Amino acid sequence: MSRLRADSLTVMAGTRRLLDAVSVDLAPGALVGLIGPNGAGKSTLLRCLAGLLRPGGGAVTLDGAPLADLPSRERGRRIGYLPQSFQPAWDYTVGEVVALGASRRPGATLRIPDLLRDHELTGLGERRWSQVSGGERARALLAATLVAEPDVLLADEPGASLDIGHRIDLMRRLRDWSRRSIVVVVLHDIERAALDCDRLLLLEEGRIVRDGAAATVAGSPDLDRVFGIRFERGSLAGGADAVLMLERRP
Amino acid sequence: MSAAVRALIRLLPLLALALLFGVSAGHDWAGPTRLLQALGGAEDLRARLLLEWRLPRVLAAALVGSLLGLGGAIFQGVFRNPLAEPYLLGSAGGAAIGATVALLVPLGLPSALALGGLSFAGAWGATLLVLAVARGAGARDAAGLLLAGVAVAAMLGAIRSFLMLALSDESVSLQVVLSWTLGGIQTPTWSGLAWLAGLAGLAIGASLTLARGLDLLGLGDDQAEAFGLDTDRFIARAILVGAAVVALAVAYGGLVAFVGLTAPHIARWWVGPRHRGLLPVSAAIGAILVILCDGLARAVLPPAEIPLGLVTAAAGGPFFLALLRRRLRA
Repeated sequence: MSRLRADSLTVMAGTRRLLDAVSVDLAPGALVGLIGPNGAGKSTLLRCLAGLLRPGGGAVTLDGAPLADLPSRERGRRIGYLPQSFQPAWDYTVGEVVALGASRRPGATLRIPDLLRDHELTGLGERRWSQVSGGERARALLAATLVAEPDVLLADEPGASLDIGHRIDLMRRLRDWSRRSIVVVVLHDIERAALDCDRLLLLEEGRIVRDGAAATVAGSPDLDRVFGIRFERGSLAGGADAVLMLERRP
Repeated sequence: MSAAVRALIRLLPLLALALLFGVSAGHDWAGPTRLLQALGGAEDLRARLLLEWRLPRVLAAALVGSLLGLGGAIFQGVFRNPLAEPYLLGSAGGAAIGATVALLVPLGLPSALALGGLSFAGAWGATLLVLAVARGAGARDAAGLLLAGVAVAAMLGAIRSFLMLALSDESVSLQVVLSWTLGGIQTPTWSGLAWLAGLAGLAIGASLTLARGLDLLGLGDDQAEAFGLDTDRFIARAILVGAAVVALAVAYGGLVAFVGLTAPHIARWWVGPRHRGLLPVSAAIGAILVILCDGLARAVLPPAEIPLGLVTAAAGGPFFLALLRRRLRA
Protein backbone atom coordinates (compact mmCIF):
# COMPACT_ATOMS: atom_id res chain seq x y z
CA MET A 1 0.00 0.00 0.00
CA SER A 2 1.50 3.28 -1.04
CA ARG A 3 2.08 6.17 1.27
CA LEU A 4 2.58 9.84 0.44
CA ARG A 5 4.09 12.06 3.10
CA ALA A 6 4.85 15.75 3.24
CA ASP A 7 7.33 16.77 5.87
CA SER A 8 7.40 20.42 7.01
CA LEU A 9 6.93 21.88 3.54
CA THR A 10 7.70 25.54 3.20
CA VAL A 11 7.11 27.53 0.03
CA MET A 12 7.91 31.23 -0.24
CA ALA A 13 6.79 33.75 -2.85
CA GLY A 14 9.02 36.73 -2.24
CA THR A 15 8.60 37.45 1.45
CA ARG A 16 5.18 35.80 1.64
CA ARG A 17 4.86 32.29 3.04
CA LEU A 18 2.53 30.26 0.80
CA LEU A 19 3.15 27.14 2.87
CA ASP A 20 4.51 27.22 6.40
CA ALA A 21 5.94 23.93 7.69
CA VAL A 22 3.07 21.78 6.43
CA SER A 23 3.19 18.08 7.28
CA VAL A 24 0.65 15.51 6.19
CA ASP A 25 0.55 11.72 5.94
CA LEU A 26 -1.64 10.14 3.26
CA ALA A 27 -2.67 6.55 2.58
CA PRO A 28 -5.32 4.88 0.39
CA GLY A 29 -8.77 4.12 1.71
CA ALA A 30 -10.05 7.60 2.41
CA LEU A 31 -11.16 10.44 0.16
CA VAL A 32 -9.25 13.44 1.49
CA GLY A 33 -10.61 16.94 0.96
CA LEU A 34 -8.40 20.02 1.09
CA ILE A 35 -10.40 23.09 2.12
CA GLY A 36 -9.65 26.67 3.05
CA PRO A 37 -10.27 30.21 1.87
CA ASN A 38 -8.66 31.70 -1.25
CA GLY A 39 -4.92 32.10 -0.85
CA ALA A 40 -4.67 29.58 2.00
CA GLY A 41 -2.20 27.47 0.01
CA LYS A 42 -4.41 24.60 -1.19
CA SER A 43 -3.19 24.56 -4.81
CA THR A 44 0.40 25.16 -3.72
CA LEU A 45 0.27 22.17 -1.37
CA LEU A 46 -1.32 20.01 -4.08
CA ARG A 47 1.35 21.00 -6.63
CA CYS A 48 4.09 20.13 -4.12
CA LEU A 49 2.47 16.74 -3.48
CA ALA A 50 2.31 16.18 -7.26
CA GLY A 51 6.00 17.00 -7.67
CA LEU A 52 5.15 19.94 -9.96
CA LEU A 53 6.50 22.49 -7.50
CA ARG A 54 9.67 22.05 -5.51
CA PRO A 55 9.25 23.32 -1.94
CA GLY A 56 11.85 25.73 -0.59
CA GLY A 57 12.04 23.66 2.59
CA GLY A 58 10.95 20.17 3.63
CA ALA A 59 10.31 17.21 1.37
CA VAL A 60 7.61 15.02 -0.11
CA THR A 61 8.21 11.28 -0.07
CA LEU A 62 6.36 8.52 -1.89
CA ASP A 63 6.84 5.18 -0.13
CA GLY A 64 9.82 6.63 1.67
CA ALA A 65 11.63 7.85 -1.45
CA PRO A 66 11.95 11.62 -1.99
CA LEU A 67 9.75 12.77 -4.87
CA ALA A 68 12.59 14.96 -6.15
CA ASP A 69 14.66 11.81 -6.81
CA LEU A 70 11.90 9.99 -8.69
CA PRO A 71 12.45 9.92 -12.49
CA SER A 72 9.86 12.10 -14.26
CA ARG A 73 8.44 9.14 -16.13
CA GLU A 74 7.83 7.13 -12.97
CA ARG A 75 6.40 10.15 -11.18
CA GLY A 76 4.04 10.69 -14.12
CA ARG A 77 2.87 7.10 -13.98
CA ARG A 78 2.44 6.88 -10.21
CA ILE A 79 0.99 10.32 -9.46
CA GLY A 80 -2.05 11.60 -11.34
CA TYR A 81 -2.85 15.30 -11.26
CA LEU A 82 -6.05 17.01 -12.38
CA PRO A 83 -5.48 20.76 -12.79
CA GLN A 84 -7.90 23.56 -12.01
CA SER A 85 -8.04 24.53 -15.65
CA PHE A 86 -6.73 22.77 -18.70
CA GLN A 87 -6.54 24.25 -22.17
CA PRO A 88 -4.33 22.41 -24.67
CA ALA A 89 -2.37 24.52 -27.16
CA TRP A 90 -3.59 22.40 -30.08
CA ASP A 91 -7.12 21.24 -30.73
CA TYR A 92 -6.56 17.57 -29.89
CA THR A 93 -9.42 15.09 -30.10
CA VAL A 94 -10.79 13.56 -26.91
CA GLY A 95 -9.30 10.23 -27.99
CA GLU A 96 -5.87 11.83 -28.51
CA VAL A 97 -5.85 13.35 -25.02
CA VAL A 98 -6.78 9.98 -23.51
CA ALA A 99 -4.14 8.24 -25.65
CA LEU A 100 -1.48 10.69 -24.43
CA GLY A 101 -2.44 9.81 -20.87
CA ALA A 102 -2.24 6.13 -21.77
CA SER A 103 1.26 6.59 -23.23
CA ARG A 104 2.53 6.75 -19.63
CA ARG A 105 2.04 3.00 -19.48
CA PRO A 106 4.06 1.72 -22.41
CA GLY A 107 3.50 -1.93 -23.17
CA ALA A 108 0.11 -2.08 -21.50
CA THR A 109 -2.64 -3.30 -23.79
CA LEU A 110 -5.12 -0.50 -23.52
CA ARG A 111 -7.98 -0.08 -25.89
CA ILE A 112 -8.96 3.55 -26.19
CA PRO A 113 -12.61 2.73 -27.10
CA ASP A 114 -12.96 0.70 -23.87
CA LEU A 115 -11.47 3.55 -21.86
CA LEU A 116 -13.86 6.00 -23.47
CA ARG A 117 -16.80 3.72 -22.68
CA ASP A 118 -15.78 3.41 -19.02
CA HIS A 119 -15.92 7.18 -18.71
CA GLU A 120 -19.16 7.66 -20.65
CA LEU A 121 -17.32 9.17 -23.59
CA THR A 122 -18.42 6.67 -26.23
CA GLY A 123 -18.64 8.29 -29.65
CA LEU A 124 -16.60 11.31 -28.58
CA GLY A 125 -13.17 9.88 -29.40
CA GLU A 126 -12.90 11.74 -32.71
CA ARG A 127 -14.45 14.94 -31.38
CA ARG A 128 -12.11 17.96 -31.07
CA TRP A 129 -11.46 19.43 -27.63
CA SER A 130 -13.02 22.75 -28.67
CA GLN A 131 -16.24 20.95 -29.54
CA VAL A 132 -17.01 19.10 -26.29
CA SER A 133 -18.69 20.40 -23.15
CA GLY A 134 -17.04 21.18 -19.82
CA GLY A 135 -18.41 17.98 -18.33
CA GLU A 136 -17.06 15.87 -21.19
CA ARG A 137 -13.67 17.56 -20.90
CA ALA A 138 -13.54 16.83 -17.18
CA ARG A 139 -14.38 13.16 -17.80
CA ALA A 140 -11.84 12.94 -20.63
CA LEU A 141 -9.08 14.41 -18.48
CA LEU A 142 -10.04 12.09 -15.63
CA ALA A 143 -9.89 9.14 -18.05
CA ALA A 144 -6.48 10.29 -19.34
CA THR A 145 -5.22 10.57 -15.77
CA LEU A 146 -6.67 7.34 -14.39
CA VAL A 147 -5.64 5.21 -17.36
CA ALA A 148 -2.13 4.88 -15.90
CA GLU A 149 -3.71 3.54 -12.69
CA PRO A 150 -1.79 5.98 -10.49
CA ASP A 151 -1.11 5.23 -6.82
CA VAL A 152 -1.90 8.85 -6.04
CA LEU A 153 -4.59 11.09 -7.53
CA LEU A 154 -4.50 14.81 -6.78
CA ALA A 155 -7.36 16.94 -8.08
CA ASP A 156 -7.49 20.74 -7.90
CA GLU A 157 -11.12 21.87 -7.93
CA PRO A 158 -11.99 19.35 -10.61
CA GLY A 159 -15.69 20.18 -10.52
CA ALA A 160 -15.37 23.97 -10.59
CA SER A 161 -16.87 24.37 -14.04
CA LEU A 162 -19.41 21.56 -13.75
CA ASP A 163 -23.11 21.60 -13.00
CA ILE A 164 -24.28 19.88 -9.84
CA GLY A 165 -25.13 16.60 -11.56
CA HIS A 166 -21.72 16.25 -13.13
CA ARG A 167 -20.04 17.42 -9.95
CA ILE A 168 -21.73 14.66 -7.93
CA ASP A 169 -20.81 12.13 -10.61
CA LEU A 170 -17.16 13.24 -10.53
CA MET A 171 -17.04 13.01 -6.73
CA ARG A 172 -18.49 9.51 -6.93
CA ARG A 173 -15.68 8.50 -9.31
CA LEU A 174 -13.03 10.01 -7.05
CA ARG A 175 -14.62 8.23 -4.09
CA ASP A 176 -14.49 4.88 -5.90
CA TRP A 177 -10.88 5.49 -6.79
CA SER A 178 -9.96 6.38 -3.18
CA ARG A 179 -10.59 2.78 -2.08
CA ARG A 180 -7.39 1.66 -3.82
CA SER A 181 -5.35 4.86 -4.25
CA ILE A 182 -4.47 7.96 -2.33
CA VAL A 183 -6.93 10.65 -3.44
CA VAL A 184 -6.70 14.29 -2.39
CA VAL A 185 -9.13 16.82 -3.79
CA VAL A 186 -9.20 20.60 -3.36
CA LEU A 187 -12.77 21.77 -2.83
CA HIS A 188 -14.43 25.15 -2.45
CA ASP A 189 -17.84 23.64 -1.87
CA ILE A 190 -17.78 23.00 1.91
CA GLU A 191 -21.12 21.18 1.90
CA ARG A 192 -19.95 18.70 -0.72
CA ALA A 193 -16.60 18.34 1.07
CA ALA A 194 -18.38 17.44 4.33
CA LEU A 195 -20.72 15.05 2.54
CA ASP A 196 -18.34 13.26 0.17
CA CYS A 197 -14.96 13.22 1.90
CA ASP A 198 -13.81 10.92 4.68
CA ARG A 199 -11.06 13.20 5.90
CA LEU A 200 -10.67 16.96 5.67
CA LEU A 201 -7.58 19.13 5.86
CA LEU A 202 -8.37 22.74 6.71
CA LEU A 203 -5.75 25.22 5.54
CA GLU A 204 -5.33 28.77 6.74
CA GLU A 205 -2.52 31.09 5.63
CA GLY A 206 -0.22 28.27 4.63
CA ARG A 207 -0.78 26.12 7.70
CA ILE A 208 -2.97 23.09 8.35
CA VAL A 209 -5.17 24.15 11.27
CA ARG A 210 -7.39 21.05 11.39
CA ASP A 211 -6.82 17.54 10.07
CA GLY A 212 -9.34 14.85 10.88
CA ALA A 213 -12.55 12.98 10.07
CA ALA A 214 -14.81 15.02 7.81
CA ALA A 215 -17.61 15.25 10.38
CA THR A 216 -15.23 16.44 13.10
CA VAL A 217 -13.57 19.12 10.97
CA ALA A 218 -16.91 20.25 9.55
CA GLY A 219 -18.30 20.48 13.07
CA SER A 220 -15.36 22.41 14.48
CA PRO A 221 -15.63 26.13 15.25
CA ASP A 222 -12.31 26.56 13.41
CA LEU A 223 -14.24 26.26 10.16
CA ASP A 224 -16.40 29.25 11.04
CA ARG A 225 -13.38 31.25 12.14
CA VAL A 226 -11.24 30.49 9.08
CA PHE A 227 -13.96 31.36 6.57
CA GLY A 228 -15.49 34.19 8.62
CA ILE A 229 -18.89 32.57 8.27
CA ARG A 230 -21.35 31.00 10.67
CA PHE A 231 -22.10 27.47 9.47
CA GLU A 232 -25.25 25.72 10.67
CA ARG A 233 -25.11 21.97 11.08
CA GLY A 234 -28.16 19.81 10.70
CA SER A 235 -29.85 16.94 8.88
CA LEU A 236 -32.07 16.71 5.87
CA ALA A 237 -35.61 15.66 6.65
CA GLY A 238 -35.79 11.89 6.44
CA GLY A 239 -32.08 11.59 5.61
CA ALA A 240 -29.21 10.75 7.87
CA ASP A 241 -26.70 12.88 5.96
CA ALA A 242 -25.44 15.86 7.82
CA VAL A 243 -25.49 19.03 5.77
CA LEU A 244 -24.24 22.49 6.49
CA MET A 245 -26.24 25.58 5.89
CA LEU A 246 -24.28 28.74 5.35
CA GLU A 247 -25.00 32.08 6.84
CA ARG A 248 -22.80 35.12 6.59
CA ARG A 249 -21.70 36.39 9.95
CA PRO A 250 -23.32 39.73 10.79
CA MET B 1 -3.48 2.64 -41.20
CA SER B 2 -2.98 5.95 -39.47
CA ALA B 3 -4.10 9.27 -40.92
CA ALA B 4 -0.48 10.31 -41.26
CA VAL B 5 0.47 7.31 -43.42
CA ARG B 6 -2.63 7.87 -45.57
CA ALA B 7 -1.71 11.54 -45.95
CA LEU B 8 1.89 10.66 -46.91
CA ILE B 9 0.62 8.20 -49.53
CA ARG B 10 -1.71 10.83 -50.93
CA LEU B 11 1.18 13.30 -51.00
CA LEU B 12 3.39 11.00 -53.09
CA PRO B 13 1.74 11.81 -56.45
CA LEU B 14 1.85 15.52 -55.58
CA LEU B 15 5.54 15.20 -54.76
CA ALA B 16 6.15 13.37 -58.05
CA LEU B 17 4.29 16.08 -59.98
CA ALA B 18 6.27 18.78 -58.18
CA LEU B 19 9.54 16.99 -59.05
CA LEU B 20 8.43 16.77 -62.68
CA PHE B 21 7.59 20.46 -62.75
CA GLY B 22 10.88 21.28 -61.03
CA VAL B 23 12.98 19.40 -63.58
CA SER B 24 10.99 20.87 -66.47
CA ALA B 25 10.95 24.46 -65.29
CA GLY B 26 13.66 26.91 -66.14
CA HIS B 27 15.07 29.25 -68.72
CA ASP B 28 14.91 26.30 -71.09
CA TRP B 29 11.62 24.46 -70.52
CA ALA B 30 11.90 20.72 -70.95
CA GLY B 31 8.76 18.93 -72.13
CA PRO B 32 7.86 15.35 -71.15
CA THR B 33 9.46 13.94 -74.32
CA ARG B 34 12.78 15.60 -73.53
CA LEU B 35 12.62 14.35 -69.98
CA LEU B 36 11.98 10.79 -71.13
CA GLN B 37 14.78 11.02 -73.67
CA ALA B 38 17.18 12.27 -71.02
CA LEU B 39 16.17 9.54 -68.61
CA GLY B 40 16.48 7.02 -71.45
CA GLY B 41 20.15 7.88 -71.77
CA ALA B 42 20.22 10.50 -74.51
CA GLU B 43 23.75 11.84 -74.90
CA ASP B 44 23.12 15.36 -76.16
CA LEU B 45 24.15 18.38 -74.13
CA ARG B 46 20.64 19.50 -73.21
CA ALA B 47 19.76 16.07 -71.87
CA ARG B 48 22.95 15.94 -69.84
CA LEU B 49 22.32 19.43 -68.47
CA LEU B 50 18.89 18.27 -67.39
CA LEU B 51 20.22 15.23 -65.54
CA GLU B 52 23.46 16.60 -64.18
CA TRP B 53 22.52 20.19 -63.53
CA ARG B 54 18.81 20.55 -62.97
CA LEU B 55 17.91 17.23 -61.32
CA PRO B 56 20.40 17.55 -58.41
CA ARG B 57 19.23 21.10 -57.84
CA VAL B 58 15.57 20.00 -57.68
CA LEU B 59 16.46 17.22 -55.27
CA ALA B 60 18.41 19.68 -53.12
CA ALA B 61 15.36 21.97 -53.15
CA ALA B 62 13.21 19.05 -51.96
CA LEU B 63 15.59 18.32 -49.08
CA VAL B 64 15.92 21.97 -48.03
CA GLY B 65 12.13 22.31 -48.17
CA SER B 66 11.58 19.21 -46.06
CA LEU B 67 14.03 20.55 -43.47
CA LEU B 68 12.24 23.91 -43.40
CA GLY B 69 8.86 22.21 -42.92
CA LEU B 70 10.28 19.99 -40.23
CA GLY B 71 12.02 22.89 -38.44
CA GLY B 72 8.80 24.89 -38.46
CA ALA B 73 6.83 21.97 -37.01
CA ILE B 74 9.40 21.45 -34.24
CA PHE B 75 9.52 25.13 -33.27
CA GLN B 76 5.74 25.48 -33.34
CA GLY B 77 5.55 22.42 -31.10
CA VAL B 78 8.18 23.64 -28.64
CA PHE B 79 6.74 27.15 -28.39
CA ARG B 80 3.17 25.87 -28.67
CA ASN B 81 2.33 28.68 -30.97
CA PRO B 82 1.24 28.46 -34.60
CA LEU B 83 3.08 31.72 -35.28
CA ALA B 84 6.41 30.33 -34.21
CA GLU B 85 8.79 29.72 -37.06
CA PRO B 86 12.55 29.65 -37.37
CA TYR B 87 12.61 33.16 -38.88
CA LEU B 88 10.55 34.77 -36.15
CA LEU B 89 12.47 33.12 -33.35
CA GLY B 90 15.99 34.10 -34.20
CA SER B 91 17.30 30.63 -35.01
CA ALA B 92 17.46 31.31 -38.73
CA GLY B 93 18.92 34.73 -37.98
CA GLY B 94 21.58 33.09 -35.82
CA ALA B 95 22.32 30.56 -38.55
CA ALA B 96 22.61 33.44 -41.03
CA ILE B 97 25.25 35.15 -38.87
CA GLY B 98 27.22 31.91 -38.68
CA ALA B 99 26.95 31.48 -42.43
CA THR B 100 27.92 35.10 -43.09
CA VAL B 101 31.12 34.63 -41.10
CA ALA B 102 31.78 31.32 -42.89
CA LEU B 103 31.29 32.96 -46.29
CA LEU B 104 33.33 36.09 -45.61
CA VAL B 105 36.16 35.00 -43.31
CA PRO B 106 38.77 32.56 -44.62
CA LEU B 107 38.89 29.99 -41.82
CA GLY B 108 41.08 27.39 -43.46
CA LEU B 109 38.32 24.78 -43.16
CA PRO B 110 36.48 23.00 -45.99
CA SER B 111 33.72 25.44 -46.93
CA ALA B 112 30.89 22.92 -46.42
CA LEU B 113 32.15 22.16 -42.92
CA ALA B 114 32.60 25.82 -41.97
CA LEU B 115 29.20 26.79 -43.38
CA GLY B 116 27.38 23.89 -41.73
CA GLY B 117 29.18 24.11 -38.38
CA LEU B 118 28.90 27.87 -37.98
CA SER B 119 25.26 27.89 -39.13
CA PHE B 120 24.44 25.28 -36.50
CA ALA B 121 26.33 27.14 -33.78
CA GLY B 122 24.51 30.35 -34.72
CA ALA B 123 21.06 28.74 -34.83
CA TRP B 124 21.53 26.93 -31.54
CA GLY B 125 23.07 29.91 -29.75
CA ALA B 126 20.34 32.26 -30.97
CA THR B 127 17.52 29.96 -29.85
CA LEU B 128 19.08 29.48 -26.42
CA LEU B 129 19.50 33.25 -26.22
CA VAL B 130 15.78 33.71 -26.95
CA LEU B 131 14.91 31.24 -24.19
CA ALA B 132 17.29 32.91 -21.74
CA VAL B 133 16.01 36.42 -22.56
CA ALA B 134 12.39 35.30 -22.18
CA ARG B 135 13.04 33.55 -18.88
CA GLY B 136 15.15 36.43 -17.59
CA ALA B 137 12.24 38.76 -18.31
CA GLY B 138 9.96 36.38 -16.43
CA ALA B 139 8.00 35.33 -19.53
CA ARG B 140 6.68 31.82 -19.04
CA ASP B 141 4.10 31.74 -21.80
CA ALA B 142 4.36 31.39 -25.54
CA ALA B 143 3.57 35.05 -26.21
CA GLY B 144 6.52 36.16 -24.08
CA LEU B 145 8.83 33.74 -25.87
CA LEU B 146 7.66 34.98 -29.26
CA LEU B 147 8.24 38.61 -28.30
CA ALA B 148 11.72 37.74 -27.05
CA GLY B 149 12.29 35.90 -30.34
CA VAL B 150 11.22 38.87 -32.42
CA ALA B 151 13.53 41.17 -30.45
CA VAL B 152 16.50 38.80 -30.74
CA ALA B 153 15.81 38.23 -34.46
CA ALA B 154 15.86 42.00 -35.07
CA MET B 155 19.18 42.37 -33.24
CA LEU B 156 20.68 39.44 -35.14
CA GLY B 157 19.57 40.97 -38.44
CA ALA B 158 21.38 44.19 -37.54
CA ILE B 159 24.52 42.31 -36.51
CA ARG B 160 24.48 40.35 -39.77
CA SER B 161 24.18 43.50 -41.86
CA PHE B 162 27.03 45.05 -39.91
CA LEU B 163 29.20 41.96 -40.39
CA MET B 164 28.47 42.00 -44.11
CA LEU B 165 29.66 45.60 -44.35
CA ALA B 166 32.64 45.14 -42.03
CA LEU B 167 33.96 41.83 -43.32
CA SER B 168 33.62 42.24 -47.06
CA ASP B 169 36.47 43.72 -49.07
CA GLU B 170 37.83 43.49 -52.60
CA SER B 171 38.71 39.83 -52.11
CA VAL B 172 35.25 38.72 -50.95
CA SER B 173 32.20 39.74 -52.83
CA LEU B 174 29.28 41.08 -50.87
CA GLN B 175 27.13 39.85 -53.74
CA VAL B 176 27.72 36.23 -52.67
CA VAL B 177 26.41 36.85 -49.18
CA LEU B 178 23.60 39.12 -50.30
CA SER B 179 22.22 36.63 -52.82
CA TRP B 180 22.57 33.93 -50.19
CA THR B 181 20.54 35.91 -47.63
CA LEU B 182 17.75 36.24 -50.18
CA GLY B 183 17.64 32.48 -50.38
CA GLY B 184 18.56 30.23 -53.23
CA ILE B 185 19.36 26.62 -53.90
CA GLN B 186 22.75 26.03 -55.45
CA THR B 187 23.21 23.06 -57.73
CA PRO B 188 25.10 20.56 -55.59
CA THR B 189 27.52 17.92 -56.76
CA TRP B 190 26.17 14.38 -56.46
CA SER B 191 28.40 13.75 -53.45
CA GLY B 192 27.27 17.03 -51.88
CA LEU B 193 23.69 15.95 -52.47
CA ALA B 194 24.38 12.59 -50.84
CA TRP B 195 25.73 14.39 -47.78
CA LEU B 196 22.68 16.61 -47.61
CA ALA B 197 20.36 13.61 -48.02
CA GLY B 198 22.13 11.67 -45.28
CA LEU B 199 22.07 14.60 -42.86
CA ALA B 200 18.41 15.35 -43.67
CA GLY B 201 17.58 11.70 -43.03
CA LEU B 202 19.30 11.88 -39.64
CA ALA B 203 17.46 15.11 -38.85
CA ILE B 204 14.09 13.56 -39.71
CA GLY B 205 14.90 10.48 -37.62
CA ALA B 206 15.95 12.63 -34.65
CA SER B 207 12.81 14.73 -35.04
CA LEU B 208 10.54 11.71 -34.89
CA THR B 209 11.94 10.83 -31.46
CA LEU B 210 10.54 14.18 -30.29
CA ALA B 211 6.98 13.35 -31.35
CA ARG B 212 5.57 12.13 -28.03
CA GLY B 213 7.24 14.90 -26.03
CA LEU B 214 5.94 17.58 -28.39
CA ASP B 215 2.44 16.08 -28.10
CA LEU B 216 2.66 16.21 -24.31
CA LEU B 217 3.98 19.79 -24.37
CA GLY B 218 0.86 20.70 -26.33
CA LEU B 219 -1.17 19.86 -23.23
CA GLY B 220 0.57 22.71 -21.36
CA ASP B 221 3.61 22.71 -19.06
CA ASP B 222 1.81 21.46 -15.96
CA GLN B 223 -0.06 18.67 -17.67
CA ALA B 224 3.06 17.61 -19.59
CA GLU B 225 4.98 17.39 -16.30
CA ALA B 226 2.06 15.59 -14.67
CA PHE B 227 2.15 13.05 -17.51
CA GLY B 228 5.82 12.40 -16.74
CA LEU B 229 7.70 14.68 -19.14
CA ASP B 230 10.79 16.46 -17.79
CA THR B 231 9.81 19.62 -19.66
CA ASP B 232 13.03 21.61 -19.14
CA ARG B 233 15.25 18.80 -20.39
CA PHE B 234 12.92 17.95 -23.24
CA ILE B 235 12.69 21.55 -24.47
CA ALA B 236 16.49 21.83 -24.41
CA ARG B 237 16.77 18.63 -26.48
CA ALA B 238 14.05 19.67 -28.93
CA ILE B 239 15.70 23.06 -29.47
CA LEU B 240 19.02 21.35 -30.16
CA VAL B 241 17.41 19.15 -32.84
CA GLY B 242 15.37 22.08 -34.21
CA ALA B 243 18.49 24.24 -34.46
CA ALA B 244 20.35 21.47 -36.32
CA VAL B 245 17.45 21.12 -38.77
CA VAL B 246 17.23 24.87 -39.39
CA ALA B 247 21.02 25.24 -39.69
CA LEU B 248 21.11 22.51 -42.33
CA ALA B 249 18.34 24.19 -44.31
CA VAL B 250 19.95 27.63 -44.00
CA ALA B 251 23.42 26.37 -44.91
CA TYR B 252 22.15 24.79 -48.14
CA GLY B 253 19.29 27.11 -49.05
CA GLY B 254 20.01 30.51 -47.57
CA LEU B 255 17.23 32.45 -45.92
CA VAL B 256 13.99 31.04 -47.31
CA ALA B 257 11.10 32.59 -45.46
CA PHE B 258 7.55 31.38 -44.93
CA VAL B 259 7.90 27.66 -45.68
CA GLY B 260 8.58 26.88 -42.02
CA LEU B 261 5.41 28.71 -41.09
CA THR B 262 3.14 27.48 -43.87
CA ALA B 263 4.01 23.79 -44.19
CA PRO B 264 3.15 22.78 -40.59
CA HIS B 265 -0.14 24.69 -40.84
CA ILE B 266 -1.23 22.85 -43.94
CA ALA B 267 -0.07 19.60 -42.35
CA ARG B 268 -2.00 20.28 -39.13
CA TRP B 269 -5.19 20.97 -41.04
CA TRP B 270 -4.69 17.74 -42.86
CA VAL B 271 -3.52 15.21 -40.24
CA GLY B 272 -4.29 16.98 -36.96
CA PRO B 273 -1.92 18.08 -34.22
CA ARG B 274 -0.25 14.75 -33.24
CA HIS B 275 3.42 15.09 -34.09
CA ARG B 276 4.04 11.53 -35.23
CA GLY B 277 2.04 12.44 -38.31
CA LEU B 278 2.58 16.18 -38.31
CA LEU B 279 6.39 16.05 -38.54
CA PRO B 280 6.75 13.84 -41.65
CA VAL B 281 3.77 15.44 -43.41
CA SER B 282 5.19 18.93 -42.73
CA ALA B 283 8.48 17.78 -44.21
CA ALA B 284 6.75 16.44 -47.33
CA ILE B 285 4.70 19.61 -47.81
CA GLY B 286 7.79 21.77 -47.26
CA ALA B 287 9.59 19.77 -49.97
CA ILE B 288 6.73 20.29 -52.44
CA LEU B 289 6.53 24.03 -51.71
CA VAL B 290 10.25 24.65 -52.18
CA ILE B 291 10.47 22.55 -55.37
CA LEU B 292 7.61 24.58 -56.87
CA CYS B 293 8.99 27.94 -55.72
CA ASP B 294 12.52 27.10 -56.90
CA GLY B 295 11.07 26.11 -60.29
CA LEU B 296 9.22 29.43 -60.51
CA ALA B 297 12.37 31.28 -59.45
CA ARG B 298 14.11 29.86 -62.52
CA ALA B 299 11.22 30.12 -64.98
CA VAL B 300 9.48 33.43 -64.39
CA LEU B 301 12.02 35.95 -65.67
CA PRO B 302 14.44 34.04 -67.93
CA PRO B 303 17.34 34.24 -68.25
CA ALA B 304 17.48 35.96 -64.85
CA GLU B 305 16.75 34.00 -61.71
CA ILE B 306 14.64 35.46 -58.91
CA PRO B 307 15.95 34.77 -55.40
CA LEU B 308 14.05 31.85 -53.91
CA GLY B 309 13.27 33.69 -50.68
CA LEU B 310 11.38 36.34 -52.64
CA VAL B 311 9.29 33.70 -54.43
CA THR B 312 8.38 31.81 -51.23
CA ALA B 313 7.34 35.05 -49.55
CA ALA B 314 5.45 36.41 -52.57
CA ALA B 315 3.71 33.12 -53.35
CA GLY B 316 3.39 31.88 -49.80
CA GLY B 317 1.75 34.99 -48.41
CA PRO B 318 -1.42 35.07 -50.52
CA PHE B 319 -1.63 31.27 -50.54
CA PHE B 320 -1.53 31.23 -46.78
CA LEU B 321 -4.11 34.00 -46.50
CA ALA B 322 -6.42 32.11 -48.84
CA LEU B 323 -6.12 28.97 -46.73
CA LEU B 324 -6.71 30.98 -43.58
CA ARG B 325 -9.82 32.55 -45.07
CA ARG B 326 -11.20 29.18 -46.09
CA ARG B 327 -10.43 27.82 -42.68
CA LEU B 328 -12.12 30.69 -40.84
CA ARG B 329 -15.23 30.40 -43.01
CA ALA B 330 -15.53 26.65 -42.52
